[in-house]
Amino acid sequence: MTKTIYIILGLLILASISFLSCEEFLEVDAPENKIVSEAVFNSDETAASAMSGIYNELFRAAFSGGWENSVTVLSGLSSDNLKTIRENDLNLREYSENNIQPNNSRNLALWSSAYSIIYMTNSILEGLEASDNLSEGIKTSLEGEAKFVRAFTYFYLVNLYGEIPLILSTDYRENSLATRNSEEDIYQQIITDLNTSRDLLDDNYRHGDRTGVNRSCALALLARVHLYKENWEEADLASSEVISNTQQYEIISDPNQVFLANSKEAIWQITPEGRGGPLGFTNEGSIFLFLSIAPGITKVALTEELVNSFVERDQRLHDWIGFNEDTQNYFVNKYKDRRSINEILEFSMVLRLAEQYLIRSEARVMKNNFAGALADLDVLRVRAGLPILSANNEELSKEELLDTILEERRKELFTEWGHRWLDLKRTNKADYFLPPSSEDWENTDIYYPIPAQELMKNPNLTQNPGY
Amino acid sequence: MKNNYSRLKWVALIIIGGILFFLSKSAHAATTTPLPLQQAIFGVVQDENGLPIPGVTVTVKNTNRGTVTNLDGEYSISAPANGTLVFSYIGYKTVEIPVDNNEEISIQLEEDISALGEVKINAGYYNTTERESTGNISRVTAKEIEQQPVVSPIQALAGRMAGVEITPNGNLPGNASTIRIRGTNSLREEGNFPLYIIDGVPINSTPLESNSNLTFGGIDPLNTLNLSNIESIEVLKDADATAIYGSRGANGVVLITTKKGKQGKTELQARVYTGASTVSNRIDLLNTEEYLQIRRRAFVNDGLEPTEDNAYDLLIWDQDRYTDWQDIFFGRTAQVTDVNLNANGGNENTAFRLSGSYHSQGTVFIGDYDYKKVTAGAHVSHTSDNNKLNLDLSLNYGVDLNNLVGYLNLTANAFTLPPNAPSLFNENNTLNWSDWAEVGLENPLSGFYNTSRTQAQNLNSNLVVSYEILKGLRLKSNFGYTNFRSDELVKRPKRSFSPATRGNIANRSNHLFIKRNSWIVEPQINYRNSIGKGEIDIILGSTFQQSERKNIALQGEGYVSESLMGNLNAAEDIIATSNSNADYRYNAIFARLGLNWDKKYYLNLTGRRDGSSRFGPGNRIANFGAIGSAWIFSEEEFIKSSIPFLSFGKLRGSYGTTGNDQIGDYGYFDAYESTLGPGGLYPNQLSNPEYSWEVNKKLEAAIELGLFEDQLNLAVSWYRNRSSSQLVGFSLPAITGFTSVQANLPATAQNTGWEVELSSYNIQKENFSWRTSLNFTIPRNELVSYPNIEESSYANTYRVGEPLNISLLYDYDGINPETGLYQFTDVNNDDALDYQDRMIAWNRGREFFGGLDNVISFKNFSLQFLWEFVKQEGMLAMFNAGSLENQRSDVYQSFDSNNRFQQISRSIEASRAYSDALNSTFPIENASFLRLKTLNLTYSIPSRFLEKIGLQTGRLFLTGQNLFTLSPYKGMDPEAPARGTSFTALRTITAGVQINL
Repeated sequence: MTKTIYIILGLLILASISFLSCEEFLEVDAPENKIVSEAVFNSDETAASAMSGIYNELFRAAFSGGWENSVTVLSGLSSDNLKTIRENDLNLREYSENNIQPNNSRNLALWSSAYSIIYMTNSILEGLEASDNLSEGIKTSLEGEAKFVRAFTYFYLVNLYGEIPLILSTDYRENSLATRNSEEDIYQQIITDLNTSRDLLDDNYRHGDRTGVNRSCALALLARVHLYKENWEEADLASSEVISNTQQYEIISDPNQVFLANSKEAIWQITPEGRGGPLGFTNEGSIFLFLSIAPGITKVALTEELVNSFVERDQRLHDWIGFNEDTQNYFVNKYKDRRSINEILEFSMVLRLAEQYLIRSEARVMKNNFAGALADLDVLRVRAGLPILSANNEELSKEELLDTILEERRKELFTEWGHRWLDLKRTNKADYFLPPSSEDWENTDIYYPIPAQELMKNPNLTQNPGY
Repeated sequence: MKNNYSRLKWVALIIIGGILFFLSKSAHAATTTPLPLQQAIFGVVQDENGLPIPGVTVTVKNTNRGTVTNLDGEYSISAPANGTLVFSYIGYKTVEIPVDNNEEISIQLEEDISALGEVKINAGYYNTTERESTGNISRVTAKEIEQQPVVSPIQALAGRMAGVEITPNGNLPGNASTIRIRGTNSLREEGNFPLYIIDGVPINSTPLESNSNLTFGGIDPLNTLNLSNIESIEVLKDADATAIYGSRGANGVVLITTKKGKQGKTELQARVYTGASTVSNRIDLLNTEEYLQIRRRAFVNDGLEPTEDNAYDLLIWDQDRYTDWQDIFFGRTAQVTDVNLNANGGNENTAFRLSGSYHSQGTVFIGDYDYKKVTAGAHVSHTSDNNKLNLDLSLNYGVDLNNLVGYLNLTANAFTLPPNAPSLFNENNTLNWSDWAEVGLENPLSGFYNTSRTQAQNLNSNLVVSYEILKGLRLKSNFGYTNFRSDELVKRPKRSFSPATRGNIANRSNHLFIKRNSWIVEPQINYRNSIGKGEIDIILGSTFQQSERKNIALQGEGYVSESLMGNLNAAEDIIATSNSNADYRYNAIFARLGLNWDKKYYLNLTGRRDGSSRFGPGNRIANFGAIGSAWIFSEEEFIKSSIPFLSFGKLRGSYGTTGNDQIGDYGYFDAYESTLGPGGLYPNQLSNPEYSWEVNKKLEAAIELGLFEDQLNLAVSWYRNRSSSQLVGFSLPAITGFTSVQANLPATAQNTGWEVELSSYNIQKENFSWRTSLNFTIPRNELVSYPNIEESSYANTYRVGEPLNISLLYDYDGINPETGLYQFTDVNNDDALDYQDRMIAWNRGREFFGGLDNVISFKNFSLQFLWEFVKQEGMLAMFNAGSLENQRSDVYQSFDSNNRFQQISRSIEASRAYSDALNSTFPIENASFLRLKTLNLTYSIPSRFLEKIGLQTGRLFLTGQNLFTLSPYKGMDPEAPARGTSFTALRTITAGVQINL
């Protein structure tokens, strides 16, 4: 009997305790696969991992990864360098025909991936700002690197889309209703960020590999930005500073070696490691190279026009361009590897020394230093096995020189990060060069449409003219 | 290996069967103790089939004296010689018999068809009856479920319940169906799952992730249940029924009760059925001649010369070849086999039930794939002699194995491949690569040797202990534990790919391990008492629940040989593609106060205070509650006298709030996660610490009538559910870095509707009976309010005043006479076709739906058939005449000058016009249907044959599923009318036998 009473008593106590609903019971630990943001910026290692995360994600991000929806491919198609050879891919065809529909899914991927990277940079910058536990060295490095990546991303957004929202925080409430900023505002921010990067970073690559950002990256991009903004003096200065760093950078004499991982010509590269997994080749390698056994898979090829613009003795024609017999198409042969597993031979090239020579050459022309301009051009011509221009007795006019540089930029930098497309736009020559290849060319096509999906979600955005 | 596996299963089954048989022989029947004599009366109570009924209450009228029949149906009682005995038992008609000096009174009780109102209904924490219920609860029982050749019990509910919509997501065994109880409440797909409770233990109703072809819709978490082991499924719909589940009741509650042991003689039952399934429908596609004619015309119309690149179907492929690709891809017959064994028995104190089953099912697709499951279940209950202590343990264990093709869609190509495309296989049965490679294509069966194998194990267990402290006061607690594991292996051998791509591909295996387990403890106090004509029933309880879920996905690559694949040891590289876990905790107090006066006036108050870890600190706790009441007006004298044919009449209504916490875990967490690349971290979701519960307010009014002694029963209910502060992945523009964030949306979605349930005993003769029941639902879904929707990111997805389930479409405006292409109304006259022109809100939902069930018995035969009917609209694609894909044969009309299709063309403009047309009103079709969902013919073998072989009962049955469909829709299956190419319902015919020892 007493036993029963105890049982009853026990149950009653159990019941009354359990009626006290306790909020502590509802506390759950963070899942194993996540680190609370504050904790990330509590130690140098995890904070640095957040930056490595961006370097990794740059490979997976559509705009920067070199795959189908990258600036390299899509802007290559928009210009006169690349063409589609699979007619059923409408979304790609819209780029090559300069007739992009606002709901083109590749366009959305391009745009979204860029803003996704911008979010990551803003998140790091906010985390660094709020943290007191990081060493000064890592804090300045990470700030410099993140600001560079942000500026770099905005550079492509503003050039591809024109006026775009300038997002500098992670506050989605505000950002979801952001309006478009003028191109001037965006460039101002890019220059501010790059100047900060330049001041904060040194010339070391923090990880050894050229896939991290150092001071030269900031200088190299600054040189380009000033060129686009027609600040000739600044462009000249910045590119000269990179070129003079012969310790670290040089023009590789064998064109076949230029795109290798950590090549001495590379200023900044993106590593295929970001893909995760054992595959070690770049996306450029796998999208441009034909597989002899399945040539039908490849979607894009070089235009005959580009190929014909090379003279026969140009080494770049032989080393950087290939011909596929099966489909009778020319292909980009800058990257040679599309099959490496467990080893990485090539990184995806973003900034390289050759461009700095071309930038300085153009800036020098504008500053009427023709001799200097020709000397810079000749550096690349020598590598290409072409006769040097400075030896030429014939005096070239300023216009002729600029045309030569534009032509040289095309041959040197084709299918790298949309150089040709951006050059045609900034020199106002798109209307001249593109109509032959795209029937319905309109001047408004120089800007891609703001993705329709974005206009639907953010009523404050407007469409570019012509769409 | 595979053979060994299935042989093992058979051995296991035989062992289970043996144990059950042994138990049945060793159990004893209890004996009775005669009561002291006044005038001793004894007898046997049997049912209509002459089987004894244990547990029948026998009382002497107007006294307190009474007894119950024993396991053999025998009773004895003392009563005055002029007294009257009353025999009563649930489900049977109560009989009064005058003693008249008889010493023996043996009777047969008649089943009381109208006593359905007395059948106990599981309302979750308490039981009620249909008669007394103040809420809306639908119920199906074992009879309707157990013979259906389906994998998950949810599939067996289609068409059977008013307000419950079941739509299959695919045609592979094990695929989860979508279940919607009273419509879509949440804008998030995953926010619409009902709460599943098996024997008192909540089960995560979210379908399981998969890398296999079950990805779409996911894997049904109820697959591993044994359908034959389900006693009943109750669906709780209104506030009165669901509010006691508080934060988890918004989408309704599905209560699954497994079969319990019953007192009485030990019985052994065995049932076997087997049969076959096929795809009953085909789309009428172009034949080779028609297809090629259209393709040639396309080039003529476009003024283009066909080349080997853009017209390999015209220039390279055989012009006379014809293949019916639908037949090739899904023209096979799938076998179904089901074996089920169970035993049950017990005495006054203890009852048990043991069961085991085996189920296997093939697929209709090219290749050998199958699904198998084995289950075992046990239930034991015990009551102490003094009736104070009750123990009840149920265990259900199931293992299933799903073998499917991996990473290969076996239906898509069946509709798109040109009819003259080359053969898939070489003569030696290897894949034909060369003919396809010649034109730059992969063989459509590229990936054919990929396999996927998903194995799941599931244990559901629950122990209920209750103790009556004082009369009417009971302490009770249930302790539940569930453990689910699934282990999936998808193999992608090199051999699956064309020789061309093989060089670039490594042997790869994908592994997915899922673990879900949870425990729950729910201590409760019940108090029940009557005061005068009033009765009171109180429950006070609390819930502690913890659930864990863990997913690990691994990828192994670089196996040297195919035979080693799956053994991660042999992989050159192993990557963890995902590794996530979530911990969910849940804590609540709940209460119920049930009152009734004179069994006429009922009041039911329920409430719950809930806390859930899915919300940020400060937003975790909320209160929910409901009030329900009923008035049985047929018990009022003035009704009885004025409407004599009214045998039952009840008015009831309820109002209350429920909530919804089905949102991903940790959404409030601002966190970083590992990147796929090494050494990196990145933020991969936006965090919002402020979001909170989604509140669902439910209102219901209903009338229930029984006419002519309950020969005709009618129930009509009207409901209105309003979900406000919608918890959604709030869609964001990509400039924010993400496409969505979890947040409470200032919106209200409303579901209203009418539900009608009608049942009628059309004929009731000794050898012939016919019963018809109908359920009918008219649902209406509406986005009632959304302040400033124009400025929100949903401005172009939803419309205030329209259902949530809409597509915004272009207004089709005929064929442009100049281009010959489809054109659409340019609403804003900006010469561009974009989202601003998509102004037509087309409702994809069902206008009404229901089921019509008939049960006809004639002598030993019983025929049951259920018609499911739905009125709705659908879309139908495949009319892009001119493109390099096959199309519906309708497009052949394009040769006529006057037809509804655009000019035959392969130009980019034509393709664009076609894809715009798919987003317009053009392809809308009537997709209503009437489908013979199930048909079941049963023959009970007369007992004179059975006795000779020592059997108690024996039945033969024939079951058909989806035998016949009437629909104007020309797609594969009106149950999935999105484009016309999906199909879900297979036609299945099975035959079987059931015997009881």
